[in-house]
Amino acid sequence: MDHPIQTDYLRWIVLLPLLGAGINGLLGAILQRQFGKRAISFVACTPVVISFLLSIWAFINLLALDPEKRFLIDSLYTWISLGSLNVTVAFWLDPLSVVMILVITGVGGLIHIYSIGYMQEDEAYWRYFAFLNLFTFAMLLLVTADNLLLMFIGWEGVGFCSYALIGFWYRDHVNTRAGNKAFIVNRVGDVGFLLGIFLIYWSLDKAGHGTVTFREIETFVPLIKDLEIWGIGVVTLATLFLFIGAMGKSAQIPLHVWLPDAMQGPTPVSALIHAATMVTAGVYMIARLNFLYSLAPSTLTVIATVGALTAFLSATIGLVQNDIKRVLAYSTVSQLGYMFLAMGAGAYSAGIFHLVTHAFFKACLFLSAGSVIQAMHHEQDMQKMGGLRWRLPYTHLTYLVAGIALAGIPPFAGFFSKDEILWKSFSHGLIFQWALGFAAAGLTAFYIFRQIFLVFYGSPRADPHTQSLVHESPQIMVLPLLILAFLSLIGGSLGVPEVLGGSNRIEHWFEPVFGSPGGHENAPVAMEILLMALSVGIGLFGITLAYLIYLRKTLVADTFSSLAAGVPYRLLFQKYYVDELYQFTFVRGTLFFSRVGAWIDQYIIDFIVDGSAKTTTFISWVNGLFDNYVVDWIVNKIADSTFGAGDKFRKIQTGNINSYLYVVLGAVVLAIIVKLRYSG
Amino acid sequence: MDLTNLESLKYFYPEIILSGTVLLLVILDLVIQNKRVLAPFAALGCLLSLGATLQLYGTSEGWLFHRMVVLDNFSLFFKVVSLLAVLLVIWMSVGCHEIRQIYQGEYYTVLLASTLGMFFMASSTNLLMAYLSLELVSLTSYILTGSLHHNRRSSEAALKYLIYGGVASGSMIYGMSWIFGMTGSLDYAVIREVLHQGEANRLTLFMAFLFILSGFGYKAVFVPFHMWSPDVYEGAPTPITAFLSVGSNAAGVAIMIRFFFPAVSHLGEGGNWDFIPGVEWPHFLLMVSMVTMTLGNLCALGQQNVKRLLAYSGIAHAGYILMGLVVLNNIGLRAMLFYIVVYLIMNLGAFLVVIIVSNATGREDIEAYRGLAWRGAAVPATCMAIFLFSLAGLPPLAGFVGKFFLFAAVIKGEFYFLAVVAIINSVISLYYYALIVKTMFLDFPEPTDQEVAMTPTVFPLLLILAIPTVFFGIYWGPLFHYTNQSLGFFIK
Repeated sequence: MDHPIQTDYLRWIVLLPLLGAGINGLLGAILQRQFGKRAISFVACTPVVISFLLSIWAFINLLALDPEKRFLIDSLYTWISLGSLNVTVAFWLDPLSVVMILVITGVGGLIHIYSIGYMQEDEAYWRYFAFLNLFTFAMLLLVTADNLLLMFIGWEGVGFCSYALIGFWYRDHVNTRAGNKAFIVNRVGDVGFLLGIFLIYWSLDKAGHGTVTFREIETFVPLIKDLEIWGIGVVTLATLFLFIGAMGKSAQIPLHVWLPDAMQGPTPVSALIHAATMVTAGVYMIARLNFLYSLAPSTLTVIATVGALTAFLSATIGLVQNDIKRVLAYSTVSQLGYMFLAMGAGAYSAGIFHLVTHAFFKACLFLSAGSVIQAMHHEQDMQKMGGLRWRLPYTHLTYLVAGIALAGIPPFAGFFSKDEILWKSFSHGLIFQWALGFAAAGLTAFYIFRQIFLVFYGSPRADPHTQSLVHESPQIMVLPLLILAFLSLIGGSLGVPEVLGGSNRIEHWFEPVFGSPGGHENAPVAMEILLMALSVGIGLFGITLAYLIYLRKTLVADTFSSLAAGVPYRLLFQKYYVDELYQFTFVRGTLFFSRVGAWIDQYIIDFIVDGSAKTTTFISWVNGLFDNYVVDWIVNKIADSTFGAGDKFRKIQTGNINSYLYVVLGAVVLAIIVKLRYSG
Repeated sequence: MDLTNLESLKYFYPEIILSGTVLLLVILDLVIQNKRVLAPFAALGCLLSLGATLQLYGTSEGWLFHRMVVLDNFSLFFKVVSLLAVLLVIWMSVGCHEIRQIYQGEYYTVLLASTLGMFFMASSTNLLMAYLSLELVSLTSYILTGSLHHNRRSSEAALKYLIYGGVASGSMIYGMSWIFGMTGSLDYAVIREVLHQGEANRLTLFMAFLFILSGFGYKAVFVPFHMWSPDVYEGAPTPITAFLSVGSNAAGVAIMIRFFFPAVSHLGEGGNWDFIPGVEWPHFLLMVSMVTMTLGNLCALGQQNVKRLLAYSGIAHAGYILMGLVVLNNIGLRAMLFYIVVYLIMNLGAFLVVIIVSNATGREDIEAYRGLAWRGAAVPATCMAIFLFSLAGLPPLAGFVGKFFLFAAVIKGEFYFLAVVAIINSVISLYYYALIVKTMFLDFPEPTDQEVAMTPTVFPLLLILAIPTVFFGIYWGPLFHYTNQSLGFFIK
């Protein structure tokens, strides 16, 4: 591989948001009091916007290079140098990470601007923006890190910010519980991630080239290809561990339980962190380490299966939820499942393509939902909405555009990326996983249009008071919505497949990272077109079904929910009882063990400790007695008699021998005796 | 370098400035009505003296005033330590309500005179000079201890201190007279030469050392010469308690090192010192060190008065510091110097919090600290926790690093039993330090407990003491380097 080109501006892309976070975090309270919320917005948004402009600059720079030489690097300093381990703080840009930073700073910037309007009423305005900036920094660090350890710092950083922002309105116990849940579930994944890092380093070190830097791992990975541990290939094991980390962060079944609860945070946070960026970190990590994953086909199968299952199961849960944000949350989990399906099929560029388009339309959906929620005075139950089409014209428009994109109807963005994934998994021979994904596409179209019909169409179901106060959001919120909607509309043009006359530009862009696409060229073009038509068809079918049930009401929803005595409905409504299962096993289990531990602590450890403490106290008590009674008694007697004598004779009789001095005398005499006795 | 009186003056600016400040303070006190300027003036004098001391680094070392005192890195180190201690104590005094009731001029004059005495304690190379310097520090300490007028506790403490100190220094000069009798000289260099010829009677010499130790030991507060300290610490005004616990303690250690190492021992290979065969003072100090730390810690356990508790804790720390002497090499001495600096910072910090609490409540017992963190004093309570945990030797605080170096020296010297005793002692001490922290944070205040507010004078000082306590726990390199450099004795 060629030596990457050294630059010195990449660091600013990453560090500027940190600067904003620093200023707002440390001085925010003062700034807000002195200069108002405008100052906070300025401090928070400017660095992200500049980062975005710098990212575009970096992108142009990369574009000017030959495809094989598209690497920029910015080394800051050596962070750890321990034996064979050498870790530098270096930011690294290649075709993959540049796409990520464009999404993070671009979509992130829009969400920052949207937040100015959304959070206007909040007292802790500065705290919100400090965390939002800190998150942006951590996420940028995650994607630009040139080694696993630095990436892990970003990984933990986004986790922490996510936790802090979910529980942003910390006075409500529900929110802090949701924050805790996200943090703890992510911790489970992080164990896997760390084990993966250790395993990679350990095995490379064994092969004589211990490193955690991505490019060096790529160079030396052939050395450990055949290494085995407990009869399993080291690469397979390491990739599985890393995937556990990805499951935690990207909310894949069975570690998905935290994401729907994360909706307790402010809505722009849901859009930025829990839809557009952070949750895609797992996908990014696998794409980053694609050279490792490509060596572990069994891991890929696991990933594809988990992804497809997640895509399908969470789509089914999404069918019956009534909370506007929860539907979107399950939709996010489901869409992340698609991305993992793409990873598992080895179609890394398709996965990242879907990541990008998903960032557009899901951010747009969440922000539009935020607009709806604000208009409805923090009502989130869709059963109490309806008929908002005329009251919120812009929001309706953007919601519709993004919804169609999500449903996968051409020529909106979601169609191209989702279809690419389905096609790749099919042509890769993952028929079962493809079937799940295909079914999920129909479910997706159904639940998103169910939502659109419930919220925007039909007769208003809100109480008259709320109804009278509904208003469109301010311009500062509408503008980002329109931009995102526009992107959801045209984002697909990045990767129009060859069969539709496109050139799949994004796939070629990623070629230096993921290698040339292969494997499916021999598949018949007719098959590809047929599948495409099928998935559009199932999408349209879902939409039609939603239309018939929720708008025309020719079909009654209750007939479905009471199907088979309502068991399937309850199962879906209760989200397959996963939360209850975890509550029963892990939470109760942990509490049980902690009770056992407490019992051991209380009866066994304490007994030992108390025993020794009592002994010590006893000795010190004897000592104290000596000091308090013997010494003090003598001193006080002497002092008292001295005082009495002084009173009589008007002078202090210092000639009285002090007990202290006896001690000195005794010690000196003792020392001399010992000296005489033992050493002559 | 062996300079005459006039030549010496050039290297004597720190002392001259300090003496000048003392004299000017007396005059200022007479002519100025506003007594509040006296403290800043005293501080200014100390700062100038500090500047002059730092100026002396890098110049030549040698004897001054016909071999009365010596100028070397070791004496400069203790001058810096004494000046830092007195500067911080002056600042503490300004923020202390107790001190406002007493005569300011007298107080600062005597305080600075005491510092001057500490200078000489660290630099004397003549028995008579050593005795005089110790007496100067003692006499001023008695006055400072008794400076709270009409306070029975304070006067009683001063009186006890005086009696005790009188006997100790008397016995010390008795021992010195024996040395003079045996060697015919008061000069350390000559004494060393004569003693190493091996003519002197070992038993006589050992007894002479014992007598001298009683004087040093009473300054450095170790068993069995410690008994004055709890009463005096409790009775003295708190800034003076703080001053005695760090300044006078450090000076006691300095005079002891100066006497027992360059004066009567021989520097051998690799920084190891050899004592005169047959005169086993290190063995005696080994026992003393173990007894000192054990007794100090055990007595501290049951204390209800925080000042008294800190007094016993000070005794225990004297025991730890003494370990550095026992191992008889430069590693141990270096660890001692390092610990002295660290102990200075954290102990002064603890006493500062005592002042803050007593300013607000007028109380010094542990009960007065109940729920301190919830009574408007979260910052002092947090700082107190830092100081106490540092005193207990928990990482990542400065006290841990200090203890680590001491223990490392002891283990390297293969005094395993001493190391075990010291570690057990550290564990015991954790109990009473943590008890205060628990009282401050985990107990909730009763409605009758007053709010504790900080005056703007003490707040910066609190940070000045708390930050290095953490900082040196994380990055001790420069301090370690400095103590290493300070281990230069001018012998000949």
